[in-house]
Amino acid sequence: LGDTKSPLIAKIAAGAVVCVESEIRGEVTIGARTVVHPKARIIAEAGPIVIGEGNLIEEQALIINSYPENIAPDSEGVEPKTMTIGINNVFEVGCMSQALKIGDNNVIESKADLGRNMILTSGCIIGACCQVNTCEVIPENTVIFGSGCQRRVQTERPQPQTLQLDFLMKILPNYHHMKKTVKTTSAVTPAKN
Amino acid sequence: MASLLQPDRVLYLVHGEKKIRSPLSTLYFCRYCSELRSLECVSHEVDSHYCPSCLENMPSAEAKLKKNRCANCFDCPCCMHTLSTRATNIPAPLPDDPSKTTMKKAYYLACGFCRWTSRDVGMADKSVASGGWQEPDNPHTQRINKLIEYYQQLAQREKLERDRKKLARRRPYMPLAFSQHTIHVVEKYGLGTRLQRQRPGAPITSLAGLSLKEGEDQKEINIEPAQALDEVEPLPEDCYTRPINLPEVTSLRQRLLQPDFQPAGASQLHPKHKHLLIKRSLRCRKCEHNLSKPEFNPTSIKFKIQLVAECQVLLTLTNPVENITHVTLVGCEEGDPEDINSTAKVMVPTKELVLAGKDAAADYDELAEPQDFQDDPDVVAFRKSNKIGFFIKVVPQREEDGDVTVSFKIRHDFRNLAAPIRPSEEGDAPTEAIWLTHHVELSLGPIIA
Repeated sequence: LGDTKSPLIAKIAAGAVVCVESEIRGEVTIGARTVVHPKARIIAEAGPIVIGEGNLIEEQALIINSYPENIAPDSEGVEPKTMTIGINNVFEVGCMSQALKIGDNNVIESKADLGRNMILTSGCIIGACCQVNTCEVIPENTVIFGSGCQRRVQTERPQPQTLQLDFLMKILPNYHHMKKTVKTTSAVTPAKN
Repeated sequence: MASLLQPDRVLYLVHGEKKIRSPLSTLYFCRYCSELRSLECVSHEVDSHYCPSCLENMPSAEAKLKKNRCANCFDCPCCMHTLSTRATNIPAPLPDDPSKTTMKKAYYLACGFCRWTSRDVGMADKSVASGGWQEPDNPHTQRINKLIEYYQQLAQREKLERDRKKLARRRPYMPLAFSQHTIHVVEKYGLGTRLQRQRPGAPITSLAGLSLKEGEDQKEINIEPAQALDEVEPLPEDCYTRPINLPEVTSLRQRLLQPDFQPAGASQLHPKHKHLLIKRSLRCRKCEHNLSKPEFNPTSIKFKIQLVAECQVLLTLTNPVENITHVTLVGCEEGDPEDINSTAKVMVPTKELVLAGKDAAADYDELAEPQDFQDDPDVVAFRKSNKIGFFIKVVPQREEDGDVTVSFKIRHDFRNLAAPIRPSEEGDAPTEAIWLTHHVELSLGPIIA
């Protein structure tokens, strides 16, 4: 984590609700209207993470941009890859996501496990406790469920959790301290962790 | 205690029609025969039907009419989970004023596990929360019903002829009108017990069954035989070249759960009503007493009668009953026909072991006198309330890898606490003790080199 090239700060846009008890390490950008619960972990080890708007990241979720297994952290010539997460995604309690590209309106249910080489498009639902570690692009509106990770395609995408987000954005500040957000117009100010 | 956590370590031999060895936690104890019973030597009977999701009780006749399905609950055709009803608000025009719209509730079925919804197969949203959902009709229902009626009539006729032949040989004073064989023929086509019911009050005569039949339907049912076709529809031309849309193909399990239609495409998978479960009661085959009878209420997991072996028979020397029990252990002799599994010789203590009774209040009673049994320290390792630990010597007979299994016989006294049928005339005579012998096999684990 001692890389001097990228600043080790998290850019939290105005309107996002990020609890102080969450752990954010590395160069992470969080969009507006995103809620990060306490004890969630967003770790940008091998590259920056960009999270869009309207996402819901629940407790003990782990979003990590880590080095691939066969590359040592200190080797030269490794370019940092950015992990992008779109809008209106839900990362339920205890899930772990290493996927480099996640689109919009996806739901990653509790204790699911996404590998690094997955690409989620939009409307995908990764069921609870499903470990998916293939090297593929998941087509739109796919549901992965069951102990054998069966798949099916649903006809409509999951609804964005607007009600839940509004509720949390009102209630969470009553019980938790929030991380400081940056003003959108001014220059980047360091955030207090 | 091997009873709950390591069930296969200690096996008891059950003398039934088959010799079954199983752990005590799966056995029942018939206290009228004073014998162990396993699940294979009791008869299983259906006690009641209930739906596993709405926990609604259903009488057996109604269950049979509804083909053992619940009326309210549905199963997801995709993952067989229980479907839940969800509501959305949709704008709908008011009946009086078509230009204004008001929010109405529309209900649809959704599965929480695989996210299947009733809209996926084109089922329209209903305006009532329950009772609006229908299963699609089977186009072959009429033909199937007609076939069933025809075969039922055929079975009745066959049965009558068989009875007539038998009755011609029987004497009139024989009470049995129905042989075991004809009852099975009746059941073959699902006639039920209609022909076996007698008029109340009338004596069971040999000809009663025949007279019941003649008053009822005499009409002949004719069916058209099935017609064989010469030409079959040819396969479509792009059968081999058309790319498969994999999410649309149903799995075998999904297909066979709907035997009426067996759809090949996922867009024709309609939800089915949920299957009912039963509560069963167990009955000893020799003395016809109930060994296990559950409560009628589906939400209750208790039993009206539950004669589990663990509460009656000695466990590995923990005394489950409240009296003092005397135990003798006897090794199996050479050539014992029941001793087939043991791979080691065992020397059990020859003296009689005494176990104190189970006393639920013993933990809390500080002033209790310490139990005064003179224990031989070579035999008894420890003693605690109703438990005892004792030494046995084991000599493995074989050198190869495998589990060391020993078998021996436990002989203990048992007091039958069931109320006597005839009250004894001498007043309160103490219940007599009977001696029970069980053949026990103990698996001690592998030999460490």
